[in-house]
Amino acid sequence: MSGSANEGVVVDPMIREEDPQRLAEFEAKMARGDLIEADDWMPKAYRDAMLRMAEHHANSEIVGALPEGEWITRAPSLRRKLALTAKVQDEVGHGQMLYRVSQDLGKSRDDMLRDLITGKTKYHNCFNYPVPTWADIAMIQWLIDGAAIMNQKTLADGAYGPYVRTMKRINMEEAFHFRSGEDMVLTLMSGTPLQRGMCQEAFDRWWGPALMFFGPPDKPGAEHLPPMRWRMKTVKNDELRRRFVNRFAPAAIDLGLRIHVVEKDGHGSVIAKRPDERAVRDAATGDWGYTEPDWNEFFRVIRGHGPCNAERLALRRFSYEQGHWVQQAVLGRRAGLPPAA
Amino acid sequence: MQTIPADLRDDFVRLLLSVADDKLLLGHRNSDWTGLAPILEEDIAFSALAQDEIAHAQALYGLAASVSHPDARAGADASGDAPAADALAFGRPAAAYLCAAFVEADDGFDWAVALVRRFLCDAFDAARLQRLSGSGFAPLAHLAARLLREERSHLEHASGWLVRLGRGTTESAARMQAALDRLAPAAMTLFEPFDGEDRVASAGLYPGDRATMFRTWRAAVEPVLARAGLTAAFTLDPDPPRGGRRGVHSPAFSAQLDEMCEVFRLAPEAAW
Repeated sequence: MSGSANEGVVVDPMIREEDPQRLAEFEAKMARGDLIEADDWMPKAYRDAMLRMAEHHANSEIVGALPEGEWITRAPSLRRKLALTAKVQDEVGHGQMLYRVSQDLGKSRDDMLRDLITGKTKYHNCFNYPVPTWADIAMIQWLIDGAAIMNQKTLADGAYGPYVRTMKRINMEEAFHFRSGEDMVLTLMSGTPLQRGMCQEAFDRWWGPALMFFGPPDKPGAEHLPPMRWRMKTVKNDELRRRFVNRFAPAAIDLGLRIHVVEKDGHGSVIAKRPDERAVRDAATGDWGYTEPDWNEFFRVIRGHGPCNAERLALRRFSYEQGHWVQQAVLGRRAGLPPAA
Repeated sequence: MQTIPADLRDDFVRLLLSVADDKLLLGHRNSDWTGLAPILEEDIAFSALAQDEIAHAQALYGLAASVSHPDARAGADASGDAPAADALAFGRPAAAYLCAAFVEADDGFDWAVALVRRFLCDAFDAARLQRLSGSGFAPLAHLAARLLREERSHLEHASGWLVRLGRGTTESAARMQAALDRLAPAAMTLFEPFDGEDRVASAGLYPGDRATMFRTWRAAVEPVLARAGLTAAFTLDPDPPRGGRRGVHSPAFSAQLDEMCEVFRLAPEAAW
């Protein structure tokens, strides 16, 4: 899992206060394609932005464990139960690795967990959608993990050494999740009419969030803005989305799924749908078309008004609060719980 | 012994199911904590424990299926998505499950309860697997010896936590003691015999007896409790009431089973 958390980082005024010599060395290093390590000098704005990105990613992993974790107890076979438990365990493990990367950039894990549950920091938008059936689990592992791999492969070409190495490790595990998701989707689509119907409905729910996964359309000159200029991000949102659609639209159609443009209610349930007439391959460019997802919905969910924002945060808070006595006993954590969001 | 005599088959299958059902339910309960444990590192560890238990259950169901239907190939390898193993795990009515009441109960998302239960179960399971590793039925003896290695690491993990929290803060010690007070009597349900236990024991399929196993268990449990500064009294009921091992479960168990089997029951014959 991953997300783009760096919109709106303003850099130049910060850089102006940095030592010009060190700044020049830092930028030269970047230009050579060298990796920046945790104990290297870096501009404060870079450290802040990198921390924000790694922390957002770590938050996304541990919040992302929740919707899938809900289905472990209901997995329909021992094999799927084992695979899903292992998968969610991987996500928590990714969170742990990414919190460690973030800790080295200067923020304590406890502060990060507190900021997450008080709503000061965010996590990836796609976890604010409901997961009403087993087929949604299949869809998350296929579409969302597929999107994550596509994004994270490019993040592994970034410049911050600890994050890049973590991405490489995470990507290996995500490849298993993706295969497992593909296998589940294939099994459902080869199954009974009920199973195929469940699968199509789940696809209708997740196609939009998957398109949104890469973030909103790029701002003009994105390549000059900090995330790309400092190789925190190496490929633009729209390009990632194009690659995703080219890979998944034909795969979905091959599996017998139909791509729809949907309308959802406030709970994330599909209330109307029609075939997406743009979901065809353009013979000239070779690219598959798609209807833009509802970006108003995207920003509404980011601002905390998605179908499941409150539920996810409440569970994270519950986990923090019910385990606080353990943290105090083992880690010597400070007394007192964070205030309500 | 490579085959089970026909007159012992049902008793022997009950033995396998009592072990497998304990493991499935305990693993199922542990997996509830995935994503919610108090410390990320422990979340990962608890998930690994859950996976071990579910995988142990899978292997034991596979064996039970091959013993029940010696002519069918399904489930004999106990490794894949054997439909026979899944049918045992998800396709039985509540009264056919032979797990102890102790593993079924909800832990109320209380980490102290979850840990103390794990600890008492791990010690029980290690003692039981030790007994099973001496079984005259070679496939079970081999399987039990393999599972025992993992079970010992579970016990080590739980013991470490018991001592850490028993000797942590005043609050953590009080919570652990309260959990132990609540769980100690219920832990005795682990020792409830299943129907036919004496017969498989005297046939050498499950060598040993309850009283010896109870002593082995106490010898494993009590030194750790002492190190953790926790106290408990355990008394084995020589003639326990009919409970989980004989298919008598709480109403909450049915609800739990309904949740566990919710998707499976949508299309029991289908592949998922």
